[in-house]
Amino acid sequence: MTKANRNTLLVGLAAAILVAGVVSYFASAQPDGLEKTQADLRADAPRHGGVEAPPVAFNEYSLKGLGEGFWANAAAGVAGSLLVLAILLGVGWLIRRRGETVKTSPDSQDAA
Amino acid sequence: MHIGPGFLSPAVWASTAAVSGAALAASLAVANRRLDDRRVVLMGVMGAFVFAAQMVNFPVLPGTSGHLGGGFLLGILLGAPLAIVVMASILVVQALVFQDGGVEALGANVLVMGVIPALVGAAVRRLWRRRAGVLADIATFLGGLAAVLIGATAVILLLRLSAALPGSVSLWQAIGVMDLVHLLIGAVEGAASVAVVRFVLKTRPEAVFAGAGSRMEATSA
Repeated sequence: MTKANRNTLLVGLAAAILVAGVVSYFASAQPDGLEKTQADLRADAPRHGGVEAPPVAFNEYSLKGLGEGFWANAAAGVAGSLLVLAILLGVGWLIRRRGETVKTSPDSQDAA
Repeated sequence: MHIGPGFLSPAVWASTAAVSGAALAASLAVANRRLDDRRVVLMGVMGAFVFAAQMVNFPVLPGTSGHLGGGFLLGILLGAPLAIVVMASILVVQALVFQDGGVEALGANVLVMGVIPALVGAAVRRLWRRRAGVLADIATFLGGLAAVLIGATAVILLLRLSAALPGSVSLWQAIGVMDLVHLLIGAVEGAASVAVVRFVLKTRPEAVFAGAGSRMEATSA
């Protein structure tokens, strides 16, 4: 990995972790624009069968077992950011590999 | 703006899932022409950052908050296909891990917070490719505002089609209430997009506009 890529990764990840792990704790707890609109229009009760994912490790943005405080939120934010990063690096790597085997580029022989 | 579980009718969530699924498949199909190491890293880092930014609700009107969408910003920095891949990944994690948004509403949420803003962002991307400057700044601010308002209006249409709004409320009333709040949220989205695009273009211009597919770094990872 080039130095520029490593720096981007470190700076971007630090920003994400700071925002998700710390700043988000001070976020407004008021309903968001859609929730407020649905409440104002008296349309906030589900009308169809819906599916909510089971709270396996997190109760919304709080790590289970840590209550609702700063650390529960920080753990959720950091874990979510890292999970998204890992998924996207994985997907990006898979797409690239597929591209390398399809294309007849000069460096395609190097592709394992 | 995540649509929660139980608000969309089966016909609406199934058809929006089909549209978003097709958009995602098409995005993945064309993505390999756009990827080099720099773009994979930028895509991953921007995804983590947008996930983080979405956790920060800021107050707007009394009793209301908003948060960034990010799909528009990603459309500018990555182009529509990669932006759609990133937003779909974020929304899947939010729905499955953090119970943010209904699982059956994933397709609709990807449409209004991923596909639509990514396409608006991709249109503004052309301006930045030509020249950074006041014109691109203004277009980015207005584009971010428009992307949020189009998405907000689409949510109301989907709720109406799902019979999830009371019959006593007209469609225009509902759109008015929704878009008034999102006018302010959209202004923040636009302003934040200007700041982030400027920063990323200043620090990693070659990762944003990497001569689409012609340059593959010979020494990978």
